[in-house]
Amino acid sequence: MSYGRSPAPAGARRLGWIAAVALAAVLAPLTAARAQEATAWLDKAARAARELNYVGTIVYQHGARVETSRLTHLYENGAEFEKLVNLDGPAREVIRSQGEVRCYYPDAKIVRVEPRTIRNVFPSLSPQQQQALTQYYEFRVAEPARIAGQEAQAIVFEPRDGLRYGHKFWAHRDTGLLLKARLINEKGEVVEQFAFTDIAIGLRVDREQVKPSWAGTPPDWQLKEGSAGDAVAQNTGWVVTRLPPGFVKVAEGVRTLRGKRDPVAHLVFSDGLVAVSVFVESSAGSAGQVPGTVRQGGMNAFSTKLDEHFVTVLGEAPAATVRQIALSVARR
Amino acid sequence: MNEELSRLMDGDLDDAALERVAADLRRPQSLATWACYHAIGDALRGCPHGSPGFVARVSARLAAEPTVLAPRPKPQGERPVARWAVAAAATLAAVGVVGWTALSLTESPGTAVAKAREAAGVTSAQVRPQGLPQDYVLVHQEYSPATARQGVQPYLRAVSAPGSDARP
Repeated sequence: MSYGRSPAPAGARRLGWIAAVALAAVLAPLTAARAQEATAWLDKAARAARELNYVGTIVYQHGARVETSRLTHLYENGAEFEKLVNLDGPAREVIRSQGEVRCYYPDAKIVRVEPRTIRNVFPSLSPQQQQALTQYYEFRVAEPARIAGQEAQAIVFEPRDGLRYGHKFWAHRDTGLLLKARLINEKGEVVEQFAFTDIAIGLRVDREQVKPSWAGTPPDWQLKEGSAGDAVAQNTGWVVTRLPPGFVKVAEGVRTLRGKRDPVAHLVFSDGLVAVSVFVESSAGSAGQVPGTVRQGGMNAFSTKLDEHFVTVLGEAPAATVRQIALSVARR
Repeated sequence: MNEELSRLMDGDLDDAALERVAADLRRPQSLATWACYHAIGDALRGCPHGSPGFVARVSARLAAEPTVLAPRPKPQGERPVARWAVAAAATLAAVGVVGWTALSLTESPGTAVAKAREAAGVTSAQVRPQGLPQDYVLVHQEYSPATARQGVQPYLRAVSAPGSDARP
């Protein structure tokens, strides 16, 4: 567009400008207030999830499947301890503590250990992300409800384009803790839901209750451990050329993953509500992976070959969004 | 049921099974699987010429066709052949409708065809349901705002029973 010559008369142009500026002046405080309100809800939920003690039963629904698990959360001297145990099927377990996340798969005799970064200790959104939130989602406070015997307030993030899922959260009225979270696709169908069916908040929890059911790694189990190598951000040499609007890069690094011979480049993009991860590895390290789309609940993954590399993109976004990102990965 | 769908495509289902599969095909999910199997079959046979959006375009043009309200000419006495022809045409039309419905119900026919093409590029043995790459899910979850909001809950994706929701 050129600012040099315009067919519109100067007067009309000025009027147009005045109208636009006036409209922006009226709307800007409104959208800013809306963004602040949305961020306040999310911050409150994050703080509650981190700093409260709670024990409850979680029902995880994805597709036609329903799985139940038991969740115990302890906050002690500024440190978080969490234990999640599957109640249906194999008694798999997730233990999340300050330094790491351990996943126990007793059916496969595998322990997966992933180091934690300090990222999620400070979950507040950057001003850029706050702005993106209400630019790409319509936020509203919906109806009050009762979830797991508790008074709750529903809040909704409706996407303004087809590139993201809709989110509906039910926050505990007193603490802001999310009692139920739902992901909704463009047809209005629920693709994934996490919900407490019973919960006790603010009770006493002992360290014993958040310990793994296995001491260390049982001798005949396989230990698969990731490296903490991505604590320092670095340029991986990879870029996404067609990033969906609203997504900004929040992390980039190279790390060594268990079972991968060569280091894997990892880039993370977020629109403030969800994240999409990009993994690029040499084809030699990707044995067994099949190109194409895989979906589980609200998470889509897409893998594709890129010359002598293998690209895997996954995140809480629709298949087309994940695919678009994967197919636009290129050398910087 | 998916195995029976595939056997139906090969034409080796007995009547009882056929009834069951036909009833099951009323579910959108089964219809989508049916359409996807055909797309995969086409790709494996080396004729993956369906262009993405083709079904949507045909549907749109069908929808845009004007409805003819003119009275039909009176038939000049029906002959057996004509009746047979009408019945055959009706059957064909029904098959067509089922076919189009099946295709239009898949999330995106283009994706199904693209997936089938990719599958054909690998080997047919690899066309099978595959779960999320759990090690990547674990790494991702640490960076997702969902983890900040819901704590350990989203990690259920990594320890959930294997297999994805969308079965090819």
